[in-house]
Amino acid sequence: MDSISLLLDGFATALTPQHLLFAAVGVVLGTAIGVLPGIGPAMAVALLLPVTYGLEPTAAFIMFAGIYYGGMFGGSTTSILLNTPGESASVVTAMEGYPMAKSGRGSQALAAAAIGNFIGGMLGTIALVLLAPVVAALAVDIGAPDYFAIMVLAFIAVTSVLGRSRIRGFASLLIGLSIGLIGLDQLTGQARLTFGSLHLADGIDIVIVAVGLFAVGESLWVAAHLRHKPAKPVPVGRPWLGRADLRRTWRPWLRGPAIGFPFGAIPAGGAEVPTFLSYVTEKRFSRRKDEWGKGAIEGVAGPESTASASAAGTLVTMLTLGLPTTAVAAVMLAAFQQYGIQPGPLLFERESALVWGLIASLFVGLVLLLLINLPMAPLWAKLLRVPRPYLYAGILFFASVGAYAVGGEVIDLLLLFLIGVLGFAMRRYGLPVLPAIIGVILGPAAELQMRRALQLSDGSLVGLVNSPMAVVVYLIVAVILTWPLLRRLLRRAPAEPREHTGV
Amino acid sequence: MRNPKTWLSVLAAALLVLLVPPLASSGGDEADSRIRGLRFMVPNTPGGGYDITARTAAKTIEDNDINGAIEVFNLPGAGGTVGLGRLVNERGNGRLAMSMGLGVVGSVYTNSAPSSLQDTTPIARLTEEADIIVVGKDSPYQDINQLLDAWKADPGGVPVGGGSSPGGPDHLAPMLTAKAIGLSPKRVRYVSYDGGGELMAAVLGGKVGFGVSGIGETRDQIDAGELRALAVTSPERVPGIDAPTLQESDVDVSFTNWRGVVAPPGLADRDREKLITMFSRLHDTEQWRDALRRNGWSDAFATGDEFAGFLKSENDRVVSVLKELGLA
Amino acid sequence: MSTDMSTVDRNPAEASGVRGRLRGHSELGVCVLLLAVGVLVLTDALSLPTDFTQRGPLGPKAVPVVVGTLLLLISALLARDVLRGGRGEAESGEDVDLSAPADWRTVLLLAGAFLLNAALIDVAGFPISSALMFWGAAYALGSRNPVRDPLVAATVSVVTWVAFNELLGVPLPGGPLMGVL
Repeated sequence: MDSISLLLDGFATALTPQHLLFAAVGVVLGTAIGVLPGIGPAMAVALLLPVTYGLEPTAAFIMFAGIYYGGMFGGSTTSILLNTPGESASVVTAMEGYPMAKSGRGSQALAAAAIGNFIGGMLGTIALVLLAPVVAALAVDIGAPDYFAIMVLAFIAVTSVLGRSRIRGFASLLIGLSIGLIGLDQLTGQARLTFGSLHLADGIDIVIVAVGLFAVGESLWVAAHLRHKPAKPVPVGRPWLGRADLRRTWRPWLRGPAIGFPFGAIPAGGAEVPTFLSYVTEKRFSRRKDEWGKGAIEGVAGPESTASASAAGTLVTMLTLGLPTTAVAAVMLAAFQQYGIQPGPLLFERESALVWGLIASLFVGLVLLLLINLPMAPLWAKLLRVPRPYLYAGILFFASVGAYAVGGEVIDLLLLFLIGVLGFAMRRYGLPVLPAIIGVILGPAAELQMRRALQLSDGSLVGLVNSPMAVVVYLIVAVILTWPLLRRLLRRAPAEPREHTGV
Repeated sequence: MRNPKTWLSVLAAALLVLLVPPLASSGGDEADSRIRGLRFMVPNTPGGGYDITARTAAKTIEDNDINGAIEVFNLPGAGGTVGLGRLVNERGNGRLAMSMGLGVVGSVYTNSAPSSLQDTTPIARLTEEADIIVVGKDSPYQDINQLLDAWKADPGGVPVGGGSSPGGPDHLAPMLTAKAIGLSPKRVRYVSYDGGGELMAAVLGGKVGFGVSGIGETRDQIDAGELRALAVTSPERVPGIDAPTLQESDVDVSFTNWRGVVAPPGLADRDREKLITMFSRLHDTEQWRDALRRNGWSDAFATGDEFAGFLKSENDRVVSVLKELGLA
Repeated sequence: MSTDMSTVDRNPAEASGVRGRLRGHSELGVCVLLLAVGVLVLTDALSLPTDFTQRGPLGPKAVPVVVGTLLLLISALLARDVLRGGRGEAESGEDVDLSAPADWRTVLLLAGAFLLNAALIDVAGFPISSALMFWGAAYALGSRNPVRDPLVAATVSVVTWVAFNELLGVPLPGGPLMGVL
């Protein structure tokens, strides 16, 4: 196969000692900066671009590859250790990762994330090599009706994270949807719930909502009920993944790319929706549902693998079509253009050696990332041994730096605080936090795609179902909704009186 | 707290937080003409027109050592009015500039934004770019007349996609075209996409009947044969693009999208001069000319008062157009 | 989406106690909050100007109206659930001791430390205000080491400032002595 031999040439380029060094530097810098609060992968890549200036293009792109995956990964570390997601792709990771860390399984959570990241990225990049042209052609066929159908599916999936009381779960979801309404309407530009404040015009960033509900809310809640007995330090436990952990994680790792890669490749995909879908999928498949919310390792492994594969998928549309579908991809695209290289349909012909060198470096970067981060996991986990007051003070500090650093506005801190108080109230009255987060993610996207689909069809409701993919997704939804009934019919056995898992 | 150690430690902490930042900070102002810590705001998503303009300009300025590092950041929302509002709030801040263009002029009205471009300090107009009417390679429309006929016959069945919110250039261009061929703008199905990437995917995938976008965002796809260019909106043909102007097809539309830079209001004269000098020097570089060519932008450099006058006339023109269209 | 709207978690024994009843009443506050948000969303949606040009059959009002209505509905359902003795289960955790009553003093101190930071950051600069927040938060949570606490707080905050401002070029306000020295 032609592309394989080109890829081998790419490896020959990427594996020279000098280029390996660049890749390693990129991975370390990317991870280090991705870990900092308020600096998501897009900003990490943008901030590190100047470092690559002055390098020849091949070396620069090899370094990019390291920075890209390193930056994508950095955010999950703080998600797990401090309950403070650094970027939207790692919001879901905090749900299981942080409880794991608090119960002394921090290094396992970090290792599951690192390996998940590696496997997701590897499979995603392999898919990029083998499928890029096909996927790119399919990706542009995905339109508003398809996106909306996927959103409907995602909303159905929400029922499985509503928690023990459905009413409270729904209340939480609606709170999230209300927060998602804040800002200018994306289609007409009309202000909704902004109360005349331009600051709210852009809506509230999902990372601010997540950090507020998770980190600030948790800190206040702990303050109200702090254990005053002599606090035992967080147990560190065994540093590595045990066999039992591996048995639970290998399937989520492998399933992740199946969800993440296609989402990354489609124009309005991103990482938020697929990581959430991965979470509910793993919860559905898990045999230990009682552990969910208290630190189920599948809930870290699956979403992390998904996020990483989605990052690889993003490169498909960027390299083959020249379309940046995420902020990170846009920054990468700009970087390419600075070197006079225009990603797009002609890139693979015009700059064959360079592209394959880049793709080879993606593989190399992933291996380096794993080699660097896996041994780091137990070290990071030791961070949790600092005394409790310092830990929570640090979490608050970290959260406020993240909110303030990007915009430099005090109102972001006040917003963070208000959302934190909301998170406190929700904890006190047993409103689960996750549905609110999901509401903020899904609500605006679903509304936009639904209205766009209806605009395209000139208002006809047929516009919501007039694509094959949408029909397939709705069929899946129908099967899921009628599944309890179907199963009853199939088994001809009396169903259990109480069934609390929705999906 | 009577322990002297306590006081020593508090004192040390106080000294640390007070003294380290000013001492660690890398000097005061460098050369007098430079602006330290300059931030360049893009009121649009990454990858869109303002974004590419800003990043290219920033890179060129840094490469040619015209100024130190410039931080480009995005504050997207509502056709640029969110960024504009932020800029206007930063009264007197000489370390902030915003990349903008025709789109922001219109969005101010369609979004009834509280601040307008009249509130800013105009710095420079940089480029001009024709809009282009494109269809995917599998589209039934082979030339502009076929498209216009089909559009006129069934405006609801031929949705048009654009990369700007209502009032922006990709919206004004098809509306003006519709008006020129006797189609009521009210009957046009305009679907707004955020920035260039999402729109191009919709055009390539045949989700919209046709797309209207800047040339820079489409050129590579046209070269590759993925997109078919049917017409350009400028009065003259665009070099390197094999498409007629709308006027050649007897559609009386002449429309170009320009982009420039504005700064916060209430700027000290010295700060304003610094910014204008910086962009003038940018305009003189070889690298900038290369970038113009590469992106299909025409040079439209104008600074200070000339640009201010132009902004005002564009503002009036857009308002009258939007009023006609029933949007303002 | 769901047919089962009942609460699983009922504890009649506790609900009948005095504290339980108080708690039940305070949970009605959540209903009031949901109701208020619902009314807010609805009034905001209905006050959107309608003469905006047509841009699709579903305007910017549709979704807020649905969300607002559902909020009113869920508020009523929650109120019914609470009055019938259902209650939300407060979240437990490693550092959380639910057997003790809420310690409002600690919460207020912690909130105060956070808000102090918000109030001071533009005036006194990031290093000072963040160090005060760190120290204040640690104090609120029971750290009483007058030698180590301020030093840790100052170090964390100065290191962060240097990393952002100097190494990354993300501007954070440096404090009153910037430009003086």
